[in-house]
Amino acid sequence: MKHSLLRPAEMAVLLAVALVIVPLLFYLPLWLPALVELMLLLRACLLLRQSRLPGLAVLLPLLALAAAGVWLNLNTLIGREGGAALLILLLGFKVFESRQQRDWQVVLALGFFLSAMPLLFDQSPWSALWLVISLLALTWAMLRLAGDIPSGSARTAVQALLLSLPLMLVLFVVMPRLPGPLWSMPHDTHTAQTGLSDSMEPGSISQLVQREDAAFSVVFSGQAPSVSQMYWRIMILDDFDGRRWQNVHGLQQETAQLQGGQLIRYRLTGKPTRSRLPLLEYPLQAPGGSGLEPGRLFRLASDSDDMVRVDASSLLGSHYRQSLSLSDQDFYRRLPPGNPASRQLAMQWRMQSQGDAGFVREALLHFRLNGYRYTLTPPLLEGDNTTDAFLFSTRQGFCEHYASAFAFLARAAGIPARVVTGYQGALYNPLGRFWQVRSSDAHAWVEVWLQETGEWLRVDPTAAVAPQRVSDGVSQTIPALQPAMPLMGSRIPGWLLPLQQSWQAAGFAWQQWVVGYDAARQLNLYRLLGLGESVDAVAVLRALLLGGGLALLPLLWWWRKRPATAPLQAGRNLLVAALQCHGITIQPSDGPLDMLNKAAHLPKDVRVLLKQLLKEYAAMRYRHAELPAKQVQAWLRQVRSFAQQARKKRQRS
Amino acid sequence: MLPFRKRLRGWWWRRLPPETVCKLRQRRIYLLPTRFGVLLLLVAAAVWVGALNYAVSLAYGLAFWIISLVLLAVLMAFRQLAGLQLQVEAGENTFLGQVANCRLLLINPAGVERQIHLRAEEGDSTVHCQLPAGGQQSVSIPLLLNRRGPHAYPVMQIWSTAPLGLIRAFSWWRPDATVLAYPHPLPDRVRHADGLQAGKGRSGGEDEEDFSHLAEYQVGDTPRQIAWSLLARRDVLASKRFVSQPRGTAVHELAWQDYPAALDGETRLSRLCWRLLQCEKAGQRYRVRLPDTVIEPQAGQRERALAALANCSLPS
Repeated sequence: MKHSLLRPAEMAVLLAVALVIVPLLFYLPLWLPALVELMLLLRACLLLRQSRLPGLAVLLPLLALAAAGVWLNLNTLIGREGGAALLILLLGFKVFESRQQRDWQVVLALGFFLSAMPLLFDQSPWSALWLVISLLALTWAMLRLAGDIPSGSARTAVQALLLSLPLMLVLFVVMPRLPGPLWSMPHDTHTAQTGLSDSMEPGSISQLVQREDAAFSVVFSGQAPSVSQMYWRIMILDDFDGRRWQNVHGLQQETAQLQGGQLIRYRLTGKPTRSRLPLLEYPLQAPGGSGLEPGRLFRLASDSDDMVRVDASSLLGSHYRQSLSLSDQDFYRRLPPGNPASRQLAMQWRMQSQGDAGFVREALLHFRLNGYRYTLTPPLLEGDNTTDAFLFSTRQGFCEHYASAFAFLARAAGIPARVVTGYQGALYNPLGRFWQVRSSDAHAWVEVWLQETGEWLRVDPTAAVAPQRVSDGVSQTIPALQPAMPLMGSRIPGWLLPLQQSWQAAGFAWQQWVVGYDAARQLNLYRLLGLGESVDAVAVLRALLLGGGLALLPLLWWWRKRPATAPLQAGRNLLVAALQCHGITIQPSDGPLDMLNKAAHLPKDVRVLLKQLLKEYAAMRYRHAELPAKQVQAWLRQVRSFAQQARKKRQRS
Repeated sequence: MLPFRKRLRGWWWRRLPPETVCKLRQRRIYLLPTRFGVLLLLVAAAVWVGALNYAVSLAYGLAFWIISLVLLAVLMAFRQLAGLQLQVEAGENTFLGQVANCRLLLINPAGVERQIHLRAEEGDSTVHCQLPAGGQQSVSIPLLLNRRGPHAYPVMQIWSTAPLGLIRAFSWWRPDATVLAYPHPLPDRVRHADGLQAGKGRSGGEDEEDFSHLAEYQVGDTPRQIAWSLLARRDVLASKRFVSQPRGTAVHELAWQDYPAALDGETRLSRLCWRLLQCEKAGQRYRVRLPDTVIEPQAGQRERALAALANCSLPS
């Protein structure tokens, strides 16, 4: 009997852990979570057919084989991915070895641990949602496994999670956070890098632009600069191989200084791109935990792609002066052979114009006047002379085409030049009062070094072709990129815009308060709430007492909660109230027959209905077997409508 | 069990006052995590360390949620026992060497459903009962009777791990009740000729049940004597009286002295017990003579006589 009682509970456990590991399908090599899901399914089949389980002699070699597969695939069995891989493998094999309740409890505990694994890879609200679903399934399975509540276990699971939620929130906010990790983590080389890559070729940015996901968000302290001035620099590409620009770290150190400009302070929250921070042109000082790289770029010391929050400051519109040695100037003029027509054009402009600045003007004028088109889907550039093909035949391109072509022309004319990639622009979210930069704001432009003044000058050839790209953002410039409803394929209607903004604001708040809730933010909160000047034992204790008191309130409500009146009793009360409306007083001692007798003078239709209801009441009230809840509910509905009619009648009269 | 633990428990149980009614309150409800609860706490600690190390905010949330769940389980398990009322019901006396049922009544006055387990300490069978809101249930705990005479109800452990199985709430109760072990009946084929006293009534015949009159019901009247028709019509409980006494007025004497002095006391009691049961089976009247008491024929004589046998203190 015990066995048959436990069997559905084991099913519940299997179902719960199968749910828990679903997100790992995205983060681990696909075959591994899929294999484990398959094993869980197989175990469920064995459970249904009550077949014998394979022995350890079969299981252990298979486990070793699978672990070897993981090793071959990931080259590690520790760290984030290796650990998660090994753990779900253990889960897959543990279920084949689970017979007693104790074994299944171990499986459940493993499930609880595994539900933390996807969080190591992603902390978006979706992950949190899945975590809640996982916890719900696990708690439900736990209730089933405890075996004491045969029915209503799902409701009890929801209730248990809801009641423990306030306590969890208090602990989340109050329990001290450590500023740094306990031990250094092995670096995962398999982490998929998102955002800008460290090279640029036709198509590399336009691919990125089609994604609508948030790259980072910014809060300016004080007045925000105009959108067209928001150039977020991430990477410098200084070497061209005829098709692709990349960074070969030609400059190991630089002596540069910033002159003039307007000081802008801002707080930036986002994932670094290859540990580089997108900072406003030109950043003044290194935010905490980052170092200055040549080209006025900042790189984080830690090599992770976790979300960071940094306070930074930039001198907007300042002059970026640098004295380049002759060899450095040559480095920034290097070009591969080829593209003769472009070289010729560059030389021609060089002759016509006066100085480097004149050349830049000439080139921008060329882009503006000669029918160049800004498009996300340019024709493919064939052959070796891609720059020639772009400049003279296709004349259609995205920012990477223009930046690449301009840098090529400048170098061909003997002007040191480099391509800069990053983001341009931002969208203000009035709800969350922050600026949102999305992947679609990715951009590439050029910096040229002017001999006369000895400074780097930003040149954005895309702005010459499509000025609204810089002022209004890419989605206003290319119709195909205008935010579209996924299903209807049209623009987002105006009434939905606030919704979109709320969504972004929610995402920002999520980043700020949930994912980014760290030691510093905790300290701020402690000070704000007056709990203490530092997160020490006394302050934590005080906060725990205070928060614990608040968290106990729902528990108190739960403890005090009276059970709802039995439906039959509730129905009788309703009938009594309805008869009261008709002017008939019913004593508590009156049975159904008494009630009917007292109602003898009522109109016939009312009496007939009452008689039927009372008859059903008596049948249900005085029967021995358990009543199906549906039947009682149906009766109760009828009683309600009866009582309502009686009330209406009284109001009319 | 470790000897130390055993002694500790023994000391603890002796401290428990015997009670016929017991209401479980916070003072006597103990809470300990189950093995699963400890395991889950360890998991929470591991998740917490991981969260610390990888600075994963949501994992903090998970760790704290698990801990909160365990804390909630403490409250839920406590609620399973808190307010529960336990009452002694009369136990079923039985013969030495058999298993008696110690009957208890569990009353759930609150509006929560309860899952209660009961176990006699030093016994190995567990009784599980599900008490609906406001419900009550009678349970019987088996107790092996290994000596003649009164047995106190064993100390009961009442526990529940419901609903999550993480925390075990338990309490002890020493019911103030006894169950009697009658002597083990031993067949006694010897005819005790002197045991049969001649009755004073007539022997046999149809007229022995001639109806005489109705009288007020007296304790001990048999169901056959009750005037059922009168009861149904007038709601008056009355007994029929007959001219003569019912059949079998001859009284068997079952006496301690029937046996040679060399026979030990327990065997004598066992044989008396067997003879007593034989008389009961045959519907014969009998009188039990023990060194200290005499049980005359009367209503409920079987129980009284058996109890006398069970309680008989042997002359040393």
